Amino acid sequence: MKQQSLGEFEELVLLMVAALHDEAYGVAILENLELKLEKKVNISAIHVALKRIEDKGFVKSRFGGITEDRGGRRKKFYTITALGKKMLDIQYELRASIYQQIPKISFG
Amino acid sequence: MKRTLPPHLLLRFFRWFCHPKLLKYIEGDLMELYSERLKEKGKRTADLRFIFDVLLLFRPSIIKPTEGYKNLNSYGMLKNYLKISWRNLLKQKMYSFVKIGGFAVGVAACLLIALFIKDELSYDQHYANHKKLFRVLGVISEDGASKKGVAFPAPMASALKEDFPEIVETGRYNNSELFGAGSSEVRVADKPDNAYDEGFVYFDQSLVNMLQLKFIYGNPEKALSEPNAIVITKRKSDKYFPGENPVGKLLVINDQADRTYTIGGVIEDFKPTSHLQFDFLIGMVGLEFWKDEQQYWGASNYATYVLVEEGTDIPSFEAKLSNQILENYFLPMMLEEGQSEADARKFFKDTNAHMEMQPIDQVHLYSFGVDDSLVHGDIRIVWLFGGIALFILLIAAINFINLSTAKSANRAKEVGLRKVSGSFRINIINQFLSESVMFSLISFVLGLMIALLTLPYFNMISGKSIVIPWTYWWFTPSLLVLSVFVGIIAGIYPSFYLSSFMPIQVLKGNLTQGAKSSPLRSTLVIFQFTMSIILIISTMVIYRQMNFILNTKIGFEKDQVVLLQGTNTLKSQVVTLAEELRSLPGVVNVSNGDYIPVRGSKRNGNSFWNEGKVNIDPGVQSQFWRIDPFYLNTLGIKLVEGRDFNSDLASDSSAIIINERMAKELGGDLLGKRITNYAGLWTVIGIVEDFHFESLRENIIPLGLVLGQEASVLAVKLNTENMSDNISAIGHVWEKFAPHQPMRYNFLDDRYAAMYDDVQRMGKIFTSFSVLAIVVACLGLFALSAFTVEQRGKEISVRLILGASVNSVFQLLTWNFVKLVVIAFAIATPIGWYLMTKWLQDYVYKTELGWDIFAVAGSMAILIALITISYQSLKAAWMKPITNLRSE
Repeated sequence: MKQQSLGEFEELVLLMVAALHDEAYGVAILENLELKLEKKVNISAIHVALKRIEDKGFVKSRFGGITEDRGGRRKKFYTITALGKKMLDIQYELRASIYQQIPKISFG
Repeated sequence: MKRTLPPHLLLRFFRWFCHPKLLKYIEGDLMELYSERLKEKGKRTADLRFIFDVLLLFRPSIIKPTEGYKNLNSYGMLKNYLKISWRNLLKQKMYSFVKIGGFAVGVAACLLIALFIKDELSYDQHYANHKKLFRVLGVISEDGASKKGVAFPAPMASALKEDFPEIVETGRYNNSELFGAGSSEVRVADKPDNAYDEGFVYFDQSLVNMLQLKFIYGNPEKALSEPNAIVITKRKSDKYFPGENPVGKLLVINDQADRTYTIGGVIEDFKPTSHLQFDFLIGMVGLEFWKDEQQYWGASNYATYVLVEEGTDIPSFEAKLSNQILENYFLPMMLEEGQSEADARKFFKDTNAHMEMQPIDQVHLYSFGVDDSLVHGDIRIVWLFGGIALFILLIAAINFINLSTAKSANRAKEVGLRKVSGSFRINIINQFLSESVMFSLISFVLGLMIALLTLPYFNMISGKSIVIPWTYWWFTPSLLVLSVFVGIIAGIYPSFYLSSFMPIQVLKGNLTQGAKSSPLRSTLVIFQFTMSIILIISTMVIYRQMNFILNTKIGFEKDQVVLLQGTNTLKSQVVTLAEELRSLPGVVNVSNGDYIPVRGSKRNGNSFWNEGKVNIDPGVQSQFWRIDPFYLNTLGIKLVEGRDFNSDLASDSSAIIINERMAKELGGDLLGKRITNYAGLWTVIGIVEDFHFESLRENIIPLGLVLGQEASVLAVKLNTENMSDNISAIGHVWEKFAPHQPMRYNFLDDRYAAMYDDVQRMGKIFTSFSVLAIVVACLGLFALSAFTVEQRGKEISVRLILGASVNSVFQLLTWNFVKLVVIAFAIATPIGWYLMTKWLQDYVYKTELGWDIFAVAGSMAILIALITISYQSLKAAWMKPITNLRSE
């Protein structure tokens, strides 16, 4: 099987979906990311990233209840799948292992 | 509390472009963000951010696909329909075979016939001016029948051009054997060997221009403008002058070395779809067949073509032209020949003599009854074939409808279940329509293959060289469109019928609709068999007429007569040749004469009068032949009165032998009396029995025979069956006389049969079609009977157990179908009788349309149907009852 790819922003969104666990929907992800990154993120970027990682099978979704402040629209909640979690682990290990290779000496 | 909403226009824009599956929750997110921002930063900022967000969402992964996201769903449904159809097809192999096989046969027949019709309709369309080119026809009514001819006096073409401003150009040709056109021996001037060739014609330069014949060599404008110029076709140029430009070379025709023809040009071969088919066009500049022939209005030998001005009103012009030509030219000619004006006018009036202009693109198909010695198609044949093709397709489509509705019981549960799971009626209709389109597509592919395989045979019997036009852009698309169309037509009734089932009833299991023999199905079976029986009757009548033609007493002996052709090059030596041949042991007699009693031989039309009655009585239109003293004996023509010619009597040079018809027309006891025509005064020495020297379609016309010599045909009557020995003996003699000319011969009985090629062809075509029709109809009947047996299986088993005999079960199962065939026969008989009476009207001498034909055709149809049904019925009747009853 071809190695699934995960872009940088997609990885961030996926991480946030995992972190928010069961409470992750568009606006929540947006606000939490803005908080962590300390910069403005656009909602459209979030949705595109969500659609892509859902197509790749890293997250699955369910619809929540109707709330008044959303103009009667349902929320779509995302949860990370096992595949998504594995992907995050791979990424994390990859980064960690490369990080381990940095010689301590260079920065004195 | 009234909610503050984001910019309405932008929201609508978003709803429009967003993929419907994503729309709801993205919109929810947008709204949530908007309301938050509204609280924190005020309406203005919230609006701006909203606009910004929406515009950024306008990207490919969010926008809905242009082809509509719902397609996905109905594609899936279609896939399901086709899968179910395919499974049904495989599950019921026999029924599928009947449906598809019958359809494919129908399609193949239709395809071949469509190509045939297309070919027939394309005649003469390639001439650049074909919309403005006309052939002039002369029409005379005699005895209620109108006779059309194309031959006109030589000067008429120039008269037309001078007298009528509407006419741009006129041109003539003369292909009469009497003038040396037709077939000839031909050779290149500096070579000794003669070769036989056909397609000689006298042709005007102006006609070359009008038809815009394409030249390969030579100047199109001047190719025939010198005396003794000749234009030949490419294939003849390749034959006599391979690989060179023959312009300026000389040809010798019929060994007349003192008169050579200079080649003025080479044209492309006439297209197969041209009504004119010639190979040697001889120019007519300075040509006169007798003194002042080109100015003489009393002899009609030239086919005349005219090119009219654009926009000429043809009907009114026709009338004007007829009037003026009759008034200004024919009337003076008749007066000059001694008729009174009153008589001449009476003749015009009685015969309704007039001229017609026939567009040249109609010459091929609309020349029935036109005497022009060209080979024609016939628009009636085109219609007939088209009709037959349609009938065969219809019969196949009926099989399709019948079987689909009959087998409906098997599909009823499926329909019920589909409806219960939410199918609308329109979905079911779509399902069955797509199923029938699938069947139709498969049938078309199969049909195309069948057509491809049978094309050589079809070409053989239709006398065409049709190819399947793969390379034309329209061919494949139109086939596809047609197959979908036919599929929909054939599927409409079954799909509406099947989709009408009530789910509750079919699922409960009390469905008997399919099992009953519906009145519609019976009607369709009757229709199929009516068509088939009509075709059988037609085939039988055509064959009977053919038989009649070949075996009728024609008044001369056509068997064992060899015709040696091209003896005119031997000149006076021909008499010696005849003498030598006569001394051969196998030869009974030899006659030298061009006037052979089969169509396509030399003919010479003349008027005869009793002595002293010229221009007082109307002349008797007759044939006037020059023969030798052995003619009657060689051809076995019987004398009724008087005696044969005697070459020893010098007085016989002015003697004439006439046929009974001539004697009747001239009236009185003619033996020993004198009669006259343009060539002199003749004493009648004998009267022969009427014999058929033209097709049996025509009446025998009056005939006068006088002595003459030096003709191009030697008729040799042989006495034994051993043909090959005799032919080689004749060959040896021939070689002595004409070493440079290969002997060319044919048999009189072959020539006779060739006159009726078209009838034989019709017979073959009808046989093929009736076989096709009956096969397809029987396939349907077979499947229907199988179905009945299947449906009534239990009933039959119970009957058998209760003591029914095999006989009674057989009757029970077959009678219903046989009844339908009998009804079909009753309908087909009058229609067949009417059609065939019409067809036989073309013949003056014809076979009787006896009751036996109908009896045989009817019993044949019933027998075939019975055999077809018997298989299934007997199978059912002989079956062990237990096999059917055990299932429950």
